Amino acid sequence: MRVDVEEKVLSENDKLALGLRERYREHKVFCVNLISSPGSGKTALLERTLEALPKSAKVAVLTGDLQTENDARRLAKAGFPVKQITTGGTCHLDASMIIKALADWDLDAIDILFVENVGNLVCPTSYDLGEHAKIVVLSVTEGEDKPLKYPSIFAVSELCIVNKVDLLPYVPFDLAQAIANARQVHPGMEVVETSCTKVQGLDAWLAWIERRRKQAMQD
Amino acid sequence: MHELSIASAILDRAKAASDENGGARVTKVGLRIGEISGVDADALTFGIEALSKDTPMQGMVLEVELCRRKQRCAACAAEFEPVGFQASCPTCHGEQSECIAGKELDVMFFELEDPPCA
Repeated sequence: MRVDVEEKVLSENDKLALGLRERYREHKVFCVNLISSPGSGKTALLERTLEALPKSAKVAVLTGDLQTENDARRLAKAGFPVKQITTGGTCHLDASMIIKALADWDLDAIDILFVENVGNLVCPTSYDLGEHAKIVVLSVTEGEDKPLKYPSIFAVSELCIVNKVDLLPYVPFDLAQAIANARQVHPGMEVVETSCTKVQGLDAWLAWIERRRKQAMQD
Repeated sequence: MHELSIASAILDRAKAASDENGGARVTKVGLRIGEISGVDADALTFGIEALSKDTPMQGMVLEVELCRRKQRCAACAAEFEPVGFQASCPTCHGEQSECIAGKELDVMFFELEDPPCA
């Protein structure tokens, strides 16, 4: 006997993500989902980002890891609301984790919500968190062929941040080739180059956030 | 290994189909998996085998329809399948295109044994 189903496997997650998207629209929250390999510098990028924002900015961060509250401790120093999501063993964040983490936050007090996903270039690709944009971070201590090795995440991300560019003189990373590889997978992909130890490229990143946020608020 | 949580979602849906049919064994599931869905069919098969022991889904076969990634060119509207993730338009060489297929992760159908006689 055959039973026709025709539905998305992750339909539960997608339903929850849709709910999040509606709440973000209602409360005018702009949400980005930062994805990278472990150690690419997502947390450092967020530290510099939070430091660069005025104290009056309505910004909040959810940061995911398998274990420890270390990232939340680092990020809380800037004085904005930060919450750690520890997944136990799960290699990605899903929409239900975001809903749980947001439960006691007033969304009207948040204009920009940064979600730092678990360090992983594969699994977070499949999970919609209701975000306006996925952002992939690639550091120059990795291979410039990473966009070709992990094409899915580069195909679905709006922006590629190439981080740790202060190390370019010391590593055999071909920046032009890396960007060409990202654009081979995702034609016209926007790229921002940053360093979080020498604080470089932050202006371009903040400008991207502001431009994309304005666009999201008009949609 | 997010395939394990995906396997678990598929098995939840299969169990519901079994329950709706008197606890019948589920022998096959039809899945549609897109090229850039981020899901590996072998890992998924392993996850389903591991999680279905001693359930009506034990031994369930996966019939997978793989979907190629398809893009639509923003300039000339041509639809094309990128070769080796080369995603510029083969017709007009436009660089901007939109993904219209390849992210699928769908359950299409289940096959069940006839329900045990009441």
